[in-house]
Amino acid sequence: VRCQLSSPQRALQASAVLRRVSDEQKEPLASSSQQQFDSHPSNHQPEQEPQGPRPSYTGQGGQESEDYESEEQLQHRILTAALEFVPEHGWTAEAIAEGAKTLGLSVAAAGMFHSDGSELILHFVSQCNTKLSELLEQEQKLVQLGEAEKKPTDQFLRDAVEARLRMLIPYIEKWPQALSILLLPHNIPSSLNLLTSMIDDIWHYAGDQSTDFNWYTRRAVLTGIYNTTELVMMQDSSPDFEETWRFLENRVADAMNMGNTANQVQSTGEAVVQGLMGAAVTVSNAETSRAVR
Amino acid sequence: AAAGLCPCRALLSRRGGALRALCGSVRGLAAGPETHFGFQTVTEAERREKIYQVFESVAKKYDVMNDSMTLGIHRVWKDILIHKMNPFPGTLLLDVAGGTGDIAFRFINYVRSVRERQLQRKLRHRQNLSWQEISESYQEDKSKSLGDSQVVVCDINKEMLKVGKQKAQHLGYSEGLSWVLGNAEELPFDDDKFDVYTIAFGIRNVTRIDLALQEAYRVLKPGGRFLCLEFSHVSNPLLSRLYDLYSFQVIPVLGEVIAGDWKSYQYLVESIRRFPPQEELKAMIEDAGFFKVDYQNLNSGIVAIHSGFKL
Repeated sequence: VRCQLSSPQRALQASAVLRRVSDEQKEPLASSSQQQFDSHPSNHQPEQEPQGPRPSYTGQGGQESEDYESEEQLQHRILTAALEFVPEHGWTAEAIAEGAKTLGLSVAAAGMFHSDGSELILHFVSQCNTKLSELLEQEQKLVQLGEAEKKPTDQFLRDAVEARLRMLIPYIEKWPQALSILLLPHNIPSSLNLLTSMIDDIWHYAGDQSTDFNWYTRRAVLTGIYNTTELVMMQDSSPDFEETWRFLENRVADAMNMGNTANQVQSTGEAVVQGLMGAAVTVSNAETSRAVR
Repeated sequence: AAAGLCPCRALLSRRGGALRALCGSVRGLAAGPETHFGFQTVTEAERREKIYQVFESVAKKYDVMNDSMTLGIHRVWKDILIHKMNPFPGTLLLDVAGGTGDIAFRFINYVRSVRERQLQRKLRHRQNLSWQEISESYQEDKSKSLGDSQVVVCDINKEMLKVGKQKAQHLGYSEGLSWVLGNAEELPFDDDKFDVYTIAFGIRNVTRIDLALQEAYRVLKPGGRFLCLEFSHVSNPLLSRLYDLYSFQVIPVLGEVIAGDWKSYQYLVESIRRFPPQEELKAMIEDAGFFKVDYQNLNSGIVAIHSGFKL
């Protein structure tokens, strides 16, 4: 992105829409919409500056041109506004156009985004992941302060996945459409990135400190659990998605058992090998002793 | 038109340009800043007059010539422009240098089909409404087949507008269309009025491109989009040579045969060569205040669509 905002020529021309950053901080939803896709979720938002007086758009000189929001921030604002139109229009450019309208922009502003609505979905997923991180962060704080008990791993994973999936409930009707769009080749890198960082986050807060191959197996397992539960949720019609949470419980339990089974398999394997070695030694001893005799 | 042009245009290739420039500048020393008309050098006032005369004489055969010069591909280019715009019902479009109305008609068709799809979707949701509600909604939908979308075609040349109006009548376009005589450098519209501003194969003929871009910025609503479809520079050397050959050898001949006007089409081809390339035009658009300026090459640079937003 070219840093056009610092050029003096731009500062003189009052931007019609890009607002001063101080303006944005007055809105409560600004914090999540400022998050970039690939920033590490556990970074805190910088402390908000004290709010200044409402600026006038008369383009006075080069005054504080660095404070204007960037195009990306405006795009995030549009996408956030567009989310409320998704249940009606689906994840489409139409929803984005309606969102732009509510911000006082022309519907043509939807042309800034892809016509298949990918950016809207990615923005939403990124927002959900951020919310999840904040939630887990808060819980961790409570545990550290001694106000809450540390949950066992399976309970923790269950709650984290459930909390994350519950964020889909307002959009559940159109979510299958979103999933299919996320699987389009040009979206796969970003959607995969978001998914893996979310899973990583959950394990991080679950207290995973492994540095060996376990790191990979844990994440792969949890990704599998998350994806399958999401698919089950699409088809679930039970009240408050009870079936889904039960499915989730079973899968997490399976995963826990799998860990034990793996150990058991390993020790069984060792025992079997030892047995075979012993048998081989015995047979060879018998041979030699017979030969000697 | 004959009176204005230097007789030394008999040389077909660009190598004759210097001679022509000499003839042109001798005449043009009197008035105004210098600019170019094809490969000639003229004053700004003269250029405006000449271009007016060019389009006055080609107006009736404009569409026919477009088809024969580009072998019909210009239709595809214009379709791509409208697809890129992806207008929703309710959009207000200003088509500058819109002359014979190609962009305007395509816009109307597109918006109509989007509106139909919208109505069909609404119908599907109507399965469980009462009869009263259904009949009410039918009544309100019938009056809005375009969904309040409108296109204003603005052109500086009366002849081109005349041809455009005739075409509209002939093809049956009546709703949502208006024709305005105006200069792209000084549009007769208020600020912050339009959702989209397009200029297809017209900005090349504007004498002060920067003024036209500033006017575009002025009349667009916040969030509005600027779209420019124009001939541009081909970077591929082989294609560039073939293109030059075709442009300078075939097109003026076609002009003479079909429209009886060699000189206008010579001007056309020369003006394409004089027009700034993609990156330069992008910089000019950014200077006018547009954000997210980008361009898309069609046919590897023969034509380019530039897009910018008023943010």
